[in-house]
Parts: sequence; structure tokens; C-alpha cells
Amino acid sequence: MPVTDAALVARVLVDDDHHAFAELVRQHQSTVRGLLRQLTRNDLALADDLAQETFLRVYKNLRSFRGEAKFSTWLYRIAYNVFREDARRRKELVGIDESKWQEEQDPKTVDLALRHDLMRALNLLPLHERSAILLCCQNGLSHEEAARVLEIPLGTVKTNVLRGREKLKRTLAAWGPN
Amino acid sequence: MDKEIQEDWLDARLRAEAPYIDDAGFSSRVVAQLPVHRSRNSLRAVILLAATVVASAIAYVVSGDGRFIVEAFAHLTQWSLLMLVLLAIGCGFLLTALGSIAAIAKMREQQSLGASDRL
Repeated sequence: MPVTDAALVARVLVDDDHHAFAELVRQHQSTVRGLLRQLTRNDLALADDLAQETFLRVYKNLRSFRGEAKFSTWLYRIAYNVFREDARRRKELVGIDESKWQEEQDPKTVDLALRHDLMRALNLLPLHERSAILLCCQNGLSHEEAARVLEIPLGTVKTNVLRGREKLKRTLAAWGPN
Repeated sequence: MDKEIQEDWLDARLRAEAPYIDDAGFSSRVVAQLPVHRSRNSLRAVILLAATVVASAIAYVVSGDGRFIVEAFAHLTQWSLLMLVLLAIGCGFLLTALGSIAAIAKMREQQSLGASDRL
């Protein structure tokens, strides 16, 4: 039977149990690395570096986790902050401008496989919409949880998800259900 | 309705684009970078031991220089040899059982964490 996040967190806090922390990392590494890969536009090496920094930060700040939110929500929030700090250093927070978006969504250019198109469409979204889509639609967070992770108002999350969805649907219209 | 179907389809496609990423040593690399905090455990043991000693000393002094211990031994001397042997055996069994339960619980806990990633 898998050990719950709460039990593992307690063991790390009480006993400084590195085995318990290793299990926490094992249980969440796939989702965190996956999220960071998407946020970094599939830069695998950078995403893994950021994921490592995320988990180290989790370890150092575990005492500040009060259990009010799910552990995964708290973890995503740290991952997103680590990404944002790195992006700020690299000055990549601006995202893709709308003119490029318009150019890319031309149906004539949508001639590759669906997966490729989806990834490209995702990467073209501005960061705030991409983050909201990834958290809510891909990782199954509620709008409230995503608002906590992204540290933005609930209404903004809903708007970002809605706009992101619309843009993705427009690009992928040829692939969607009839 | 069409909008809902489209959203379900989009969400399903997005989830499909998030396959499980194999650990491939990632967890081990993270744990290898964790700072070591052995001093905290040893400090806790010292605090527990000191608290026990102080509490025992207080109990001894408060009870009239350990008169209750003398009384307990005096009471035990009135017991038959058979009763004393049974008491000793019972205490031995109780300690063994408690130790075994603690060891089994710890073993299960360690097993659930997976033996392959012991560092």
C-alpha cells in the first residue's frame, strides 16, 4: 500500500528521514518534471535542473507546509516559482506575441501530426495561459488550486483557461471531434 | 453540448501528452544533494535522557527520598517465590512482545519505501 504524502511529510519533519523524502520525490517527480518540461517548451535538461531545485526547495521549506492545501498543490506552486524566477533571469516571461500567434494558426500550416500540432499550439500560448491550461486541463487541478499555485485571482485563472482553450481549439480545429 | 465534447477531447489530448516520466535516478540525485542533519537527532536523544533523569530525581525527592521504592520491595518480599518468578517471566514476555511489534512495524515501513533506493 503506498504511503500517503502526509505520512511521508511527517516522517521527514520528525525524523529528518531521507528515505521518506526520496519516496515523496519518487511519487511526484513525473508530474513535476512533466509540468516543467511543458513550461520550458520541452527543454529537458533545463526542466530537470528546475525540478531538482524545486525538490531541494521543498525539503528546505517543508516546515512551512501547513497542510491547508494538498501537498501536490504546494509542490506545483514551488515548481512554478522556481520556473518563474529562472524565466525572469532569462527574460522569457513575455511569451509569444499575438502576431506570431495569428501567423501560426493559419490552417495551411496545420499539416503535421496531431501531437506535434498540440505541442506547438501549447508552446505558442503566452505563459499565463499555458500555465493555467497545463495545471487545470493537463494536471487536473481545480481553478481554485491553480489560483493558489499561480498566485493570481480565481477569475484570472478562469479567463486564462478559457482563452487558452479557445486558441488551442482554433489551432486544432481540424483534429477535433465533428 | 458540442462545446463540452470539444473540451473533453482537448483535455483528454492534453492528458495524453503528459505520459509518466521514468525516475531514472532522478530521486537519487535529489536526495544526494540534501543537507545532513544528524545533530538534530542526537540532540533530541540528549534532551530526552536529561528530561528522564531530572524527572526521576524530582520523583525521588518528592516521594520522601524514595520511600515508595523501599515499600514496594518490602511488599514484594511477602510474595511467594512462584509469584516472583511469574512476575519476572511476565515482564520479560511483555518487553519482548513490545520490542517485536516495534521491529515489525519499522520493517514494514522500510519495505513500503522500497529497498532499492536506500542511500
